[in-house]
Amino acid sequence: MNLDKVISGFFFILAMTINFGFFYGDIGNPELHSVYELFAALVVSLISTVLKIGDKTQLGAVLLATSLVADIQLIGAVTVWTVTEYLSIVDVEAFAAIISLSGGALLANITSVILYIGETLKSKR
Amino acid sequence: MNNNALWIILQKLRIPLLVIIVTYSVAILGMVLIPGMDDSGKVYHLSFFDAFYFVSYMASTIGFGESPYAFTYEQKLWVSVCIYITVIGWFYGLGALVSAVTDKTLKFEMMKSRFRKKVKALENDFVIVLGYTHVNVEIIKKLHMANMEVVLIDEDEEKINLFMLEELKRDVPVMVGNALLTETLQYAGILQNNCKGIIALFENEEHNFRIAILTKFLNSKVKVVAKSTYDDISKSILDTDIAKVINPFEVFSKRIDVALRSPYTLVLENWIYGNSDLSEKPLYLPDGKYVICGYGRFGKALQLKFNKYGIEHVFIDAKRLAHHTMIEDGSFVRANPDDKDILLDVGIKEAAALIVGTKNDIDNLSIVITAKKLNPNIYIIARENTMQEVSVFQAADIDWLFMIEQIYINKASMALVNPVKHSFLKLVLKQEESWVKSFINLLKNQVGINPLLERLDINEESAYALYQELQNGVDIEIEVLLCSLKNRKERNPALPLLLYRKGKKILLPNNVNLQIGDQILFACTRESLMEIELIASNIYELHYAKYGQEKENPILRKFFS
Repeated sequence: MNLDKVISGFFFILAMTINFGFFYGDIGNPELHSVYELFAALVVSLISTVLKIGDKTQLGAVLLATSLVADIQLIGAVTVWTVTEYLSIVDVEAFAAIISLSGGALLANITSVILYIGETLKSKR
Repeated sequence: MNNNALWIILQKLRIPLLVIIVTYSVAILGMVLIPGMDDSGKVYHLSFFDAFYFVSYMASTIGFGESPYAFTYEQKLWVSVCIYITVIGWFYGLGALVSAVTDKTLKFEMMKSRFRKKVKALENDFVIVLGYTHVNVEIIKKLHMANMEVVLIDEDEEKINLFMLEELKRDVPVMVGNALLTETLQYAGILQNNCKGIIALFENEEHNFRIAILTKFLNSKVKVVAKSTYDDISKSILDTDIAKVINPFEVFSKRIDVALRSPYTLVLENWIYGNSDLSEKPLYLPDGKYVICGYGRFGKALQLKFNKYGIEHVFIDAKRLAHHTMIEDGSFVRANPDDKDILLDVGIKEAAALIVGTKNDIDNLSIVITAKKLNPNIYIIARENTMQEVSVFQAADIDWLFMIEQIYINKASMALVNPVKHSFLKLVLKQEESWVKSFINLLKNQVGINPLLERLDINEESAYALYQELQNGVDIEIEVLLCSLKNRKERNPALPLLLYRKGKKILLPNNVNLQIGDQILFACTRESLMEIELIASNIYELHYAKYGQEKENPILRKFFS
């Protein structure tokens, strides 16, 4: 067992699950989406991005790309949240944008986890 | 992924980035969770944005103060913890970034990719030169004069830095690398079509051999110029079919051979190399006994020639052994040549010439001085190993100086820059003295005492008019090129020396019809060269030279008829 693999696998999957946790729930209802979860999703996603750096194979490059997509979507969600809150224009449309951005990030995270699992299954050791 | 440099930076920054992310997020989360108090004493929580804002300027030690309200003691407690973890994390990250950027491997990778880009961008023909030495710099200068680009590789970074200080006409892409590896050669562009040659003049001749072999398999169109003074290595290098071997001892012994056989040929050879003009007096080596100091590779090469012409000679060498028959018949003395008594013993007083050919320049000079004292009239031939001492050797009043480095420079640059000139020289060396003598007179009468040696290629680029006419199937004799444009019945001072056609060489071509792809070597003056080029490339001038009348311009005729 390789400790590096455990840690990176942990963060890849955690990024996906936390993202899902934030995304799950009625898209128009802010009470069902915790800001702490969004924060955690962003941090874990950033960590998993850094963990993916340095793998020069084709698959490593795709993994890194999906992770970068998730980061950008989550940063977008956070930015929208901050801007709307401080400009006091919290409405259903803005909130829906935040949730759908995190939904996009969730898709990227799912892709990345599928690729990761695929690679693990392929490996003969 | 070709961009190695970026990957190296990213890989080195993985841990610092993780540290920054973790410390920031811990600090931000703490700031959000710990309750604060606003101006009116109500409890409030920092939003994530407030916390991010505060931690950002705290970690980077900018420190704008406590915001949005003054902190409570609970908050201050947490902030004092955060200061230590985030600031340390931040500086660790910065430090890692700086050290990654200044990293040696990174610099090497960046230099490599810059070098690669420059080499790929070369449009002219280029030559790969291995190693920064005095000789190679002179060769590079000659190649630049001939409009060829150069790429340089050296193993030593210090040397590359020194090379950057050289004043050269063109930009030379340089790389630190081991030239004996295929990868390095590929980086230097050996696979490119415009790579015309590679120069390997390493002291270690095994290396030169290796380069020849590698080049043969990488790109057999590239010509290798390699130094080799040992017979077996020379043979192996020549076996690759793409290499030219430079053996300075061989070259010089051939010159001695030529000087003994046909002094006029030597005048011609010196002119071809551009060392002197044709008015030079031919050099007659004196008759009599030759004393030769040094019985190494140089001495052995000379011995063959002396035996061939039956010249009395004696070798002196302190270290090497010779066949016992040589010692018995007195043609070898095992002693230190830099010794007055030894020189007297071998008969320096009666000797006609002295050849000093040890590999130590100072020894050579010292022997020359001693010998001159003993026999002021003796003819002296001296070997000079490095060009650094050239002024000292000139002051020593030596009759014939044999400069090893000059031979490398001349041979290597000629083989790559002007192969036609080189084959002309080879043909000339085979001729009888009477032929050479009359040839020199012909040159002197027709062209002048120091004609230029220039090449004309019959192709679309450098001889447009000829190319067009030949395409149309018109027969054009070589003499057409020699017509004077003022009066075509007169001949310009120029002489075609060699016509090179698909491996066939025609010496002094006469009444030959030109073909596309021919290369012609001319002896000419500056003015006649201009006219030759004009006739070759301008359709009107060519028409006049061939038919003696002006060619009618079809467009103008429409206007005036």
